[in-house]
Amino acid sequence: MDLVKWERPAATDLWEAFDGLRGELDRALDPFRVPDVAGLFDRTTAPAVDVIETEDEYIVIADLPGVEKKDLELSVTGSLLSIRGDKKSEQESEKRKFFRKETWVGSFNRTIDLPDRIDSGRISAELADGVLTVHIGKREEAKTKLIAVSVK
Amino acid sequence: MENKSVERRRYAVPACAISEEGGTVTVRVEMPGVPKEGLEIKIEGNELSVLGERREAEARGLYLVRERRSDSYQKLFTLDDSISREEVEASLENGILTMRLQVKEAAKPKRIEIA
Repeated sequence: MDLVKWERPAATDLWEAFDGLRGELDRALDPFRVPDVAGLFDRTTAPAVDVIETEDEYIVIADLPGVEKKDLELSVTGSLLSIRGDKKSEQESEKRKFFRKETWVGSFNRTIDLPDRIDSGRISAELADGVLTVHIGKREEAKTKLIAVSVK
Repeated sequence: MENKSVERRRYAVPACAISEEGGTVTVRVEMPGVPKEGLEIKIEGNELSVLGERREAEARGLYLVRERRSDSYQKLFTLDDSISREEVEASLENGILTMRLQVKEAAKPKRIEIA
């Protein structure tokens, strides 16, 4: 559920393209719509993220249930933040019989292009209850400044 | 008929995996953002209900991307008669709730030795 599967639409069948168009329209009018955001090199499975801009920082929040700190890798290049990691499965054994499996294991990668140049010196991340929160500071010149105008 | 649910809220259905091995049924429910205090597990008759309250402070600012759901989680499981109501273990780690239920001795397959 929280590791959202992103499906690339197949363009082999003409009718499928119409179906896709209808789906797209339905989604556009859906009040609970989730925007499609996925980087070019992202894997088909990527965690759902929130990106929030505040006055002096960007906050990126990702749902990563079952991902341990040691299996997570964060990197920043320019204005690109990349979250990659491995979601490991519990101990598997041949005798284990699955009745239902909606969960997913494997590696994931998510790249987020942040709007402004970011201050790579001011980044902090924390992982708690399966949720990753990354705080990325804005560069001084990217912050909105108030300029006092005196009227004569 | 009386409606059991007093408050009507929107809940997210968490992803889950149910497996069995050697008389132990393992139920894993993915609930990122739910701390231990926000979790409520109940067994009523044949129903096992899991409620996970997300306890995250709403971030103040402009949402540039919003894909995560902020709803709390709810999931109902129906328990078979073969599952023991008494021995239920639950643990929460990294946003995944793992519950271990035991199959009753009487319901386990018996091996009959041929004399």
